Amino acid sequence: MLNFMSRTGLDLSILALTVGGLILTLASGGYIQFVMGLVALTTVLCVGLNVLYGLTGLVSLGQVGFFAIGAYTSGILLLNGVSFWLVLPAAGFVAGVAGCLLAIPAVRMAGPFLAMVTIAFAFIVEHGAVEWRSMTGGQNGLMGFPMPEIGSYVLSETDLVLFSICLAGLSLYLCRRLADSGWGMAMTGIRDAEIAASSLGYKPFVVKLAAFAIAAAMAGLAGALFTPLMMFIAPSNFPFSQSILFLFAVLIGGAGSVLGPLAGALVTVLLPEFLSGLAEYRLLFFGALLVGVLLIAPRGLVGSVAAYLPKPGRKILPKSAADIETLLAGYPKPDKLEIENLGISFGGVRAVDSVSLSLPAGAVTSIIGPNGAGKTTILNMISGFYKPTDGNILLSGKALSGLPAFEAARSGIARTYQTTKLFENMSVVANVISGLSRGRLGQPLAKVESAENLALAAGLLRYCGYMGDFDKRAGDLPHVDRRLVEIARALAMKPGVLLLDEPAAGLMRADKDQLAVILRKIADLGLAVVLVEHDMELVMGISDRIQAVDAGKPIAFGTPAEIQANETVIAAYLGDGSAPALPRKGQLETVQTPVLSTLKLTAGYGAAPVLKDVSVKVRPGEMVALLGANGAGKSTFLSALSGLHRPVEGSIILNDDPVHTLAPHDLVGRGLVLVPEGRQVFPELTVLENIELGAYKRRKAMSGDEIDALLARFPRLKDRLHSRAGLLSGGEQQMMAIARGLMGRPSVLLLDEPSLGLAPAMINELYAILGELRDDGITILLVDQMASLALSVADYGYVLEQGRIVMEGPAKDLIADERLTAAYLGGGETADRREAVQ
Amino acid sequence: MRTSRFLPQMTRRALMSGVVGLSVAISLPALAADTVKIGLVAALSGQSAKSGQAITRGLTIAIDEINANGGVLGKPIELVSRDDESNPGKGLVAARELVQREGVAALIGGLDTPVSFAIVPFANQAKVPFVGPWAAGTGITKNGAEENYIFRVSAVDEYVDEAITEYLIANHGVKKPGMILINNPWGESNEKGLTKALEKRGMETAGIEKFESNDVDVVPQLTRLKENGADSLFVVANVAPTAQVIKSLDRMGWDVPLASHWGPAGGRFTELAGKSGEKLHFIQTYLFVEGDEKGDAMFAKLQAAFPEIETTADVTPATGIANAYDSMLLLAAAIEKAGSTDGPAIRQAMYEIENIEGLIKTYADPFSPDNQDAIGPEDYVFAHFVEGQIIPVK
Amino acid sequence: MTLLIAALVSGIGLGSMYGLIALGFQITYSVSQTVNFAQGSVVMLGAVLGYVFIERLGMNWMIAYPLAVLCCGGFGMLVEVLLVRPFVERNSEAWLMATVAGGIFLDNAVLFTFGNEPRTLASSLTQSTWQFAGTGIYPQQVLIPIAAVGVALALHFLFRKTLQGRALLAVVQNGQAARLMGINTTAMVSGSFALSAMLAGGAGLLIAPLLSVHSDMGTLFGLKAFAVAILGGMTSASGVMLAGFIYGLVEALVTTYFGSSSTYIIVFALLILALTWKPDGLFGRPAVKKV
Repeated sequence: MLNFMSRTGLDLSILALTVGGLILTLASGGYIQFVMGLVALTTVLCVGLNVLYGLTGLVSLGQVGFFAIGAYTSGILLLNGVSFWLVLPAAGFVAGVAGCLLAIPAVRMAGPFLAMVTIAFAFIVEHGAVEWRSMTGGQNGLMGFPMPEIGSYVLSETDLVLFSICLAGLSLYLCRRLADSGWGMAMTGIRDAEIAASSLGYKPFVVKLAAFAIAAAMAGLAGALFTPLMMFIAPSNFPFSQSILFLFAVLIGGAGSVLGPLAGALVTVLLPEFLSGLAEYRLLFFGALLVGVLLIAPRGLVGSVAAYLPKPGRKILPKSAADIETLLAGYPKPDKLEIENLGISFGGVRAVDSVSLSLPAGAVTSIIGPNGAGKTTILNMISGFYKPTDGNILLSGKALSGLPAFEAARSGIARTYQTTKLFENMSVVANVISGLSRGRLGQPLAKVESAENLALAAGLLRYCGYMGDFDKRAGDLPHVDRRLVEIARALAMKPGVLLLDEPAAGLMRADKDQLAVILRKIADLGLAVVLVEHDMELVMGISDRIQAVDAGKPIAFGTPAEIQANETVIAAYLGDGSAPALPRKGQLETVQTPVLSTLKLTAGYGAAPVLKDVSVKVRPGEMVALLGANGAGKSTFLSALSGLHRPVEGSIILNDDPVHTLAPHDLVGRGLVLVPEGRQVFPELTVLENIELGAYKRRKAMSGDEIDALLARFPRLKDRLHSRAGLLSGGEQQMMAIARGLMGRPSVLLLDEPSLGLAPAMINELYAILGELRDDGITILLVDQMASLALSVADYGYVLEQGRIVMEGPAKDLIADERLTAAYLGGGETADRREAVQ
Repeated sequence: MRTSRFLPQMTRRALMSGVVGLSVAISLPALAADTVKIGLVAALSGQSAKSGQAITRGLTIAIDEINANGGVLGKPIELVSRDDESNPGKGLVAARELVQREGVAALIGGLDTPVSFAIVPFANQAKVPFVGPWAAGTGITKNGAEENYIFRVSAVDEYVDEAITEYLIANHGVKKPGMILINNPWGESNEKGLTKALEKRGMETAGIEKFESNDVDVVPQLTRLKENGADSLFVVANVAPTAQVIKSLDRMGWDVPLASHWGPAGGRFTELAGKSGEKLHFIQTYLFVEGDEKGDAMFAKLQAAFPEIETTADVTPATGIANAYDSMLLLAAAIEKAGSTDGPAIRQAMYEIENIEGLIKTYADPFSPDNQDAIGPEDYVFAHFVEGQIIPVK
Repeated sequence: MTLLIAALVSGIGLGSMYGLIALGFQITYSVSQTVNFAQGSVVMLGAVLGYVFIERLGMNWMIAYPLAVLCCGGFGMLVEVLLVRPFVERNSEAWLMATVAGGIFLDNAVLFTFGNEPRTLASSLTQSTWQFAGTGIYPQQVLIPIAAVGVALALHFLFRKTLQGRALLAVVQNGQAARLMGINTTAMVSGSFALSAMLAGGAGLLIAPLLSVHSDMGTLFGLKAFAVAILGGMTSASGVMLAGFIYGLVEALVTTYFGSSSTYIIVFALLILALTWKPDGLFGRPAVKKV
């Protein structure tokens, strides 16, 4: 979306530039006027390419092909006596059709693949023009075209240039209108987040096809003008390099900005003219200048200038909460969504296995389970991103399974994402408006941000608790607001079913409480709300029914109270109670000086800090556990320590040196090694090769003894040493990842969620090994969501909540503390209830 | 709407400065009129850079001579060069810029036939004489315009094709020649010319094969010609691609009579093609022959002007130099005769100039409205490489 | 029959060449999701430097060839540092244009320093031919596929058996984990560009004796190699090498049986069809849709 300047301002600038161009043409004549004509038709072409690349994000290096098709269509028809005024639309049409034909295979491709297909197309056209001699005149081209006529008046070259300038102005204006329409919104949406766009009901194929057709047709029109202006066309007029220049024009002008194509056309047409005196050195300087301009203005000329212009302010009057509630209650909704024996396999792994669930309207149904249990996969099947291997999804009896995402969305299923998928480059309010139409694109030139839509979208935003600026760029929002905007956008679809994937992750307690109220209200208005969430206080507080899953299988279903009392669920969350305690053999011998410490460490993404003033100490030989719910900031903390997350405020001290500015590879050299969450193995390398890479910084081959010692510690790896790491089971991969970490001879080993997604037996085995490592004097900082398990091996613990340390103490004290359970399975009240149940 | 008031202001200012900037840029160079400007439009970069350089050298020598003798109309001649990158669009833009902004009295150039074709209608319309020292496409001079401003001091494909056909028949008695042509406009133009020449004699061709200038291997095309019973070959391509043809023939072990357009003369042909390159006979409008007085003098001048030149192998293609040199002499004579830099006057004078002493020949009556080509088939020489030197055949 | 054999010989030789250059695209793309569109110009640079070192500076080819390849590697690194990294850091796709511009610059810089005349890089392997089934082959033509496959195998060995090679594979397979192993990924990206350019430069040296050396000899090689890399799927080295052979053979067969004027039309049309059939390339792995 083009929010850099106000619409009226833009329209007036387009008008002023057009009139200016006309005046300059009339005043100059000759060569200048001819160059103006070239600028104008380059602008027309680049406006089309801007729709394709700037708005929709698709790279085409084949525009010269469409340009040539337009030029030849025009040339051949003109020579056969067809009127120019018929020729012009015909050329646009023929090129547009060619664009559609190319788009059918092309839109399925990504990045370089798409680029190659368009390059191939340009070459086919160029060589086709050479070979199809009877029509195109072959290499020597066509000439002798009659000039356009109006009645008996024959247009002069000046008239033709004036006409081209008007057409360029018109195309800039129409592009502005298109960008502000539902079409433009869909294009931008697909560029910024295709997945989110399709779950709002937009059909990516159709939108991309339209963008391709527009770009091709505009190139065709430009070609049609090129023919009479040049008076001669030949295949060598359309070399592939010209395509690159067109794309360059769009980039340098500012991809996605309305006036960008004009600025780009001016640069690419005029720059060579200014350099023409350099004769044979022209290309040398041109190449260097291109790089220079790109480096100076990476966002494009218009983008760089617009950054200094004040942004327009506007007043949006949001609809009242009552109006919004009336609206949400008012439309017809399906009575329930039913899931029957749903299952899916990825490469032989059963990610979800025979889950059956009824999700009634007017109720909140939550799906809980440890990480990797398959919760998000269930949502992905419901919303049409994954095709279930077996089972059914029925919406009021209508089968949904296997339908693409946009169909699911159009049936009334809305969703949010674990990591929010907003349209980053749209305003907040535009994000919500994009949900309103359920994928209907509307009139291509109709303003989608109508007063009615604005009021409605703003109302929804306020209703969901968003209190910020409606015109703010969505990409600049803090975390909390992103969540709220995403929910408002989903509601804008007037859905029957609302799927929420961890909406509370990373939110503060107060925000969570507010969210709970909103979600409950939404359900009470008659929507079926499906909640996947780790925050147990939220889940227990608002759910009518809870489905607990583990390792893809349903393990319990019932009311919050029933679930909280369920032993299987408690085991899945807090770790298997059967795990043997692993007390330290002998006394911890350490010194007071920590090997690793942080002082008031603060870090975050964008506006909101995820970590605030975190001070932690790890002493030599000590095993320290860092606990906290999902989204508390544990992973960010480890990322900050290991150097993956930069910059940070505060300090990190390793072996008495400040290291908070160092990159990961330097930190590894200094003995700080992180075994990351999710194992992160190198799947194509063998186990041995993986392990050897752990010793990368040592630059020396490992001795056989060292490997033997390692294998003695991890006996499971012995037989798998030469198999590819990707083929290992999760437990084996985790063992391998720890072994790999140990190879760096760390002075501190950081472990992020080692038990994640492992079977209980495997977890016990792993923790036994961790206990041994501890007893052998290895300093470890452990993060694990299985709190009791982590504390069973640790010497000392910290509890992180909302990015702050809220509790710390020796492990044995913490494990007895009721407040810890509370942090995991909900607030104090819930903990009391649980006690009562027990 | 505070901003919308602000914006047009910005735009106006931007527009104003743009207009001012443009007009300054445009008006600056056009002022000085104490020289007679001649515009050159040619491919100065890329594959054809060598040929473009030859034209520049020929023109430079001619202009230096003319200016040493007082110039034309009492003013020195100034050459203004533009690179067309072998792209007709760029060539046309450059031609227009030279005429409409630089105010050149005449244009020289057009290495590639399509570039010349693109400039022809403009030159005729703008009434500016355009002299072609290179592009051989027949239709360039025979363009059907009532007032034809296009002249040429170069070979013409149709005549060349006629000449090399005759040459193969006369010297080798061939019956079924094949064509191996570069896949570009020049190749296509000669495909027409050769087909016409063969049809005229009621002969059939063994096939018409095209190849790309960067093709590593021309064996497949040549094998097809061989299997179709070709008893000789026409070769039309520039120096490097022609060398690829020779190397491919070598590999096939196919010894066949070869006649070629002037392409191989453009560089160190035998270095590229090997010893077998000497078997290729090709047409020339001019070559540096040892002992030729005019040629030696020219070579000395070239060496003086361009110190990098050491041997005659460094002044290839000689044809380009000679054509350009003669073009300039003829043009200067016409301007002098016309007494002005007015286009129609120069054109008229082109028909009137007589007995101009050029490098290729003495032009008794170079141009007439019926024949705007100064060089005809009678001026062609057949040549081949011997020890790296171009030597006339026989 | 002679036709077919001629086509096969030509196709295998060219195909291995395309494959070798395309490997360069594959390597940088795997490591950094970017490519050097000046790759064709580096092919030319390799050949030009080889010529300059041997013919003008009189070096022994045993010194000249490795030196030329090393210089190409240096150029590749320069491209990464100056033309790719600044844009990637700003999250911009303009590296595509910047590397194209870099190629234009290099081509023209060579035009003015090396000269505008095609020259020959002599090789003793093109002085005589081997006659074989009615057609002749330069020993160089036999050397090219052998060298190409040899280089590909050597690379495979380098990647699997040396620590730095495995570190590069690690960056490809999991960039973040690689950083946690202490691998300097930024340096690895630079290294991959250097390696990629060395492959292109080496290809230029191999092909030069069959062609002539001049400033724009590389453009089409670069383009076709990019097509090959795409056809191979960009992800697997063996897939790209195989795609090179397929492309070379199809190109030679089309030229032989349909004439070279239709080569581009038919080959590129087939390429589009192949990608329509397999949008991730013939041997590429379909990207996993992440929701």
